[in-house]
Amino acid sequence: MNKLTRKRGSAMRLIAVLLAAVMVATACGSDSGGDAAPVATTAAPDATETTAAPTTATPTTEAPTTTATPTTTTEAPPVGPAQGGDASVGLEAEAPGLRPWEDTCSSPCYNMMNAVFDKLTEQYADGSYGGFLAEDLTANDDYTVWTMNLRPGVVFHDGSELTAQTIADMFVVQQTGAASSGAIGSSSLAAVEATGDLEVTYTLSAANAIFPAYLSRAALGMVFAPSTGADEDAVTAAGNAPIGTGPFMVDSRDVDNKTVMVRNPNYWMSDSFGTQLPYLDSVTFHPIPDEGTRLSSLASGTVTAMQSLRQASIRDARNTDGLWLFEHQGNNAGGGMFNVTVAPYDDVRVRRGLMHMNNQDAVIEALGGKGISTGATQFFAPDSPFYSQAVADAYPAFDVAAGVVLVTEYINDPARSDGRAVGENIEVELSCPPDPTLIAAMQVIQAIMESTGIVDVNMSNYDQATHIGMAVGAADGTFIGTHNMHCWRWGSEDDPGMGMNGGFADPFDPSGVGALNFSNWYSEEAYGYLVEAVKTDDMPTRVALYEKFGLILTAESPIWYSGGTATVIATAEGLGGLDSWEMPDGEAGIGHPAAEGRWAQAYWAAE
Amino acid sequence: MGKMLAVRFVRLIATILAVSFLTFLMVNLLPGDPINALIPPEAQHDQEFVEQLREEFGLNDPMLVRYGKWLGDAVTGDLGKSVITKQPVAQEIWRRLPITSELAIVSVVFSLMMAVPLGTLSAYKQGKRVDQGISAVAQVSLSIPNFVLGLFLIYLFAMKLRWLPATGWTRLTESVSGNIKSVLLPAMSLALAEIAVYTRVVRSDMVSTLQEDYVLSARAKGLKDRFILFRHALRPSSLTLITVVGLNVGALIGGTVVMEVLFAIPGLGKRLLDAIFQRDFLMVQGITVFIAIVYVTINTVVDIIYMLVDPRIRKKV
Repeated sequence: MNKLTRKRGSAMRLIAVLLAAVMVATACGSDSGGDAAPVATTAAPDATETTAAPTTATPTTEAPTTTATPTTTTEAPPVGPAQGGDASVGLEAEAPGLRPWEDTCSSPCYNMMNAVFDKLTEQYADGSYGGFLAEDLTANDDYTVWTMNLRPGVVFHDGSELTAQTIADMFVVQQTGAASSGAIGSSSLAAVEATGDLEVTYTLSAANAIFPAYLSRAALGMVFAPSTGADEDAVTAAGNAPIGTGPFMVDSRDVDNKTVMVRNPNYWMSDSFGTQLPYLDSVTFHPIPDEGTRLSSLASGTVTAMQSLRQASIRDARNTDGLWLFEHQGNNAGGGMFNVTVAPYDDVRVRRGLMHMNNQDAVIEALGGKGISTGATQFFAPDSPFYSQAVADAYPAFDVAAGVVLVTEYINDPARSDGRAVGENIEVELSCPPDPTLIAAMQVIQAIMESTGIVDVNMSNYDQATHIGMAVGAADGTFIGTHNMHCWRWGSEDDPGMGMNGGFADPFDPSGVGALNFSNWYSEEAYGYLVEAVKTDDMPTRVALYEKFGLILTAESPIWYSGGTATVIATAEGLGGLDSWEMPDGEAGIGHPAAEGRWAQAYWAAE
Repeated sequence: MGKMLAVRFVRLIATILAVSFLTFLMVNLLPGDPINALIPPEAQHDQEFVEQLREEFGLNDPMLVRYGKWLGDAVTGDLGKSVITKQPVAQEIWRRLPITSELAIVSVVFSLMMAVPLGTLSAYKQGKRVDQGISAVAQVSLSIPNFVLGLFLIYLFAMKLRWLPATGWTRLTESVSGNIKSVLLPAMSLALAEIAVYTRVVRSDMVSTLQEDYVLSARAKGLKDRFILFRHALRPSSLTLITVVGLNVGALIGGTVVMEVLFAIPGLGKRLLDAIFQRDFLMVQGITVFIAIVYVTINTVVDIIYMLVDPRIRKKV
């Protein structure tokens, strides 16, 4: 039996469903997130954090002490959480709706949804998964049947009780949900049944040892009142008036302006000292799309917190007095891919040659992330248990001379695939969304490539929805994308199995299993390792499998990196708790990856 | 007068039909697919599901069929539902219209309050230092993009003085003072270029008017300059101004998008921009046609005001 319930000191089995490297088909390449882009999520353990914010392990007694950049923050006096107070949060975009099963969400939207909805599982600080609304979750021997017991005494905002039947009824709605239907397919979830008052049985069509990870994300994990998905009118209404079990209830919602949430007086969770959560009386979310005015809004007191996924904003926030910064850099990284079905990217010499011409340090500097972000070489950050030094060593480092050798070899090959004459330059189309910092960064790459005299680079920019659409293939493999060298974003804190399997399956398989393989690169051997990795929760085995996969991927080089994605939640001095929220068992939660705040345990520091 | 109004009305309908069709055509020619924005990539490999959604939103019908259906519903006031949020388009427009209208009107009123005295003074002091100074300032104002001014105003009034909020919008129904505070900075940012344009227009017309015989006659009678300027000269000097203001108000209804994004204001322009990026066809269509209606209607109203202001035009009609 494989039990998810967290027990201190017995973490190895749980670590098996650790951190992430989900291949994210999200906002591409830039250091910004995007609302239209489906985001694969969250963040890693906090070893790489450079927060200038309070770093209390629990939201109770210790003073915020760490200041990575002392000139930009203020040392806080010894404090604890005060009950009450309000927070107003500037988000980088509006949520399209607040329906976990229906709305495609990214970081700003999750900030709001996390306040309204509880999830069945959540991630601990080390990235492993534990029960949240689920008290325990156990699997049979082959991971095809998972049995979950719900926490008793949990009620929805409308007063109805959470039972096992609720979860079964949710599944009916989720099956036709625009956001959840895909997760049902990729998790192999076939049926959900109430097998007791609080006991739920999930039946899967294939072995899935990482199923708890799916219950930690919005699509399958956020618990909503099934009545809100009952019919078209209910679904429409739920976009602005959702009903969950979460710490806050939606009081009013003026789309694109502000969503006011007030304390749920019946919230089930208390902190380690028995204080009922949430601490705050209300939290109001304001979409402020412009990065500069979002920070100005915080600095001027118009809002008391803001989030950003841009390195330049982190830099500016560090230079602003009176703020606490909750920074994070995890597995998520910007970069891109080559469409390996298109010449000249169908030749590994070209792919590796071009990657050698990518100066990540210069790109990061152009993005405003010097001293903030670090380079990337794989799906995992160095603090991830899945990180492989061997893969890092194999990654084509910045070395223009080496790149020239490889590309020249291709250029002089009479059998070169692009149909050009021997000796003629290769032509590269580099496409990114029209973000100014991103364009500046890509111009760095363009300049280096063109300086070799053997590469001609055309840059193109399309809005994000179009950019993504260019790379999304058809289910039957008849459409493999119209992209070339294409900006993209990779990795998250979710379990790697959640995204990598679909992302590297055979794009030409008529079943459509590889429709999310955006680079169209496929290796039967490498894919086999990914499949094996979700059939076991033995951590050393999984680490080894992902390393084997990573080495093949790096050798073939269908994807490239431009640097890790640093994120921040900046708050007015005194508003803390974002990095120290607790799981129901008192263990530390994962914090604030991807600038996704858990506002249930945010607090104004008491004097 | 009645005949003129009837002709205007027919033109208005024809213009709206043309705009609606062209918008439909152009939106459909844009690259991209609303399905990309509607569902995550992991759901897009489920062809059956994608087809079901396409049917639901009528995306599989030929363009002309879709246009016909849309037009049929539109004349009954049903502009369809957003593909992304599922909210009715008409409801979205009515929810946001007061915000954009207020922003446009306040900026126009503010700019007129500044431009009319400045333009009049400039004309009165034609060729002198005051005139040259006002012209120079107007020239500079025209050269400053309004978002740059917006950033400066945020810095000054929100960050330094802390008098006004940097971003956001308070509805009039929520708080009158809050509403005034939230409209001031964006309206002032929008007004700068308008002040410059209106000042030059008023000055130019006023200079001509001041050379009319009846003004000389009024001066000969010993009337005070202020009385002559504002009582006798301003009204006949305002015809061009009325035209420009009319066109500008129409343009502002759809043209405040930069300010709406910068100041995080939930207006029509911001919604239109988002809808374009999301390929939310019906939302784009609905808002564009609505803006066209406003624009054409305002032009018609301007023509009517012409007649009221100038008896000579009224007599011709």
